[in-house]
Amino acid sequence: MQTYLDFCKFLVTEASVNNRVVIDSDLEDLIPGFIEKRQEDIQAINAAAATGDYETIINIGHNLKGIGGGYGFDRITKLGAAIEQAGKQQDGDKACELVQVMKTYLEHVEIHYE
Amino acid sequence: MAILIVDDSADSRALIKRLLEKHGLGDILIAESATDAFALLGLDHPVCLAENIELILMDGVMPGIDGIKACGLIKSHACFKDVPIIVITASDDAETLEKAFAAGAMDFITKPVKQLELKARVNSALNMKHAIDQRKAREAELVKVLEELEGLNRELSRLSSLDGLTGIANRRHFDQIFEMEWRRAIRAGHDLSIVFLDIDFFKYYNDTYGHQEGDDCLKKIAVAAGSVLKRPADLLARYGGEEFVIILPETGVDGAYEVAQQIRSAIEMCNIPHSASQIADHVTVSIGVAGGKISLADKSQELIALADKALYEAKNGGRNQVRVAGAVS
Repeated sequence: MQTYLDFCKFLVTEASVNNRVVIDSDLEDLIPGFIEKRQEDIQAINAAAATGDYETIINIGHNLKGIGGGYGFDRITKLGAAIEQAGKQQDGDKACELVQVMKTYLEHVEIHYE
Repeated sequence: MAILIVDDSADSRALIKRLLEKHGLGDILIAESATDAFALLGLDHPVCLAENIELILMDGVMPGIDGIKACGLIKSHACFKDVPIIVITASDDAETLEKAFAAGAMDFITKPVKQLELKARVNSALNMKHAIDQRKAREAELVKVLEELEGLNRELSRLSSLDGLTGIANRRHFDQIFEMEWRRAIRAGHDLSIVFLDIDFFKYYNDTYGHQEGDDCLKKIAVAAGSVLKRPADLLARYGGEEFVIILPETGVDGAYEVAQQIRSAIEMCNIPHSASQIADHVTVSIGVAGGKISLADKSQELIALADKALYEAKNGGRNQVRVAGAVS
């Protein structure tokens, strides 16, 4: 129960975060491809959760954790860490919910290049 | 010299490559796995490609062979000893880092990669690599110079023991070898003989044919005398002017007399014209021989004096002949 409560708090915090990110202009041409690949990740995680393929969820989550902040998307790093954790806990539902958060975030994120 | 990025994540590879390029580090190689990296580094080849690589950025967690194991495998090749590896890892816990350093990593960068940290750590690794390369180049240069110096010293030593005109041993070398053979003869109880040889009427030869021909004559005499000596320890030297000397270790006066006669004969056979000679129409030599058993009480200069005396006897006796001195003592 406590875990579930923590998770809800996490979602609320995530939802309330400002959607504005500032990204190095040297990375600008890489960003559309980066976001496109996250759509593939979202589909892959949903598919993996449906079949109980937690190894894939862990791997994708780990990758998101490692790359998000590097490109300027700290939120993706945080979500990736949570997805990796969900995979380790073999909690497919949680992974799907986190992926939904990421999907919404990517749809609304405001990117500024500097 | 390139930086090799080893990372299974395409996003990660693209990001690191771009950030390095931004900092002016454009020569970048990419490997998607440890196995790809091994192939790029030539680990399976007889010739390793370490000199093409100045830094490896290695993802810590990869499917198959992970970054830490790959680090250990690369470092186990001696030629990659000085190529720095930075492990890039999402987990900066002490255990992971300890394993990375134990595997030979020089540093680590935590994921997500931050520009400033990447730049600073890469620069630090490259500076270290350049310092090592410079030191190695200086050491190699030093070794090369030392080898050249040793070669020159050997050549100098060889030249300093040779007579510039005839190419046989000079007086200095004769003195050294004679002292050595003298002591050896005393120690071993062997005979030792000395043969002195002087060209007859050589001053007249020079006056008649000129110094250039005189020099050629000396060279021919050296060749003819040298051709008679068969044993490695026998030494022919130019004693000075037109005078030559021969050391014959383990040889008594009888044997030395034989050698001296052969030399005298060999020089006559050269048939070098000498119109100013008062005894023949060709170059001849007079030879004095001294030798025998040597004892501790004897002095080396006495043997030389005896041979020299015998030479004068040969001269006074009509030249073109061999005279033997009495025993040393």
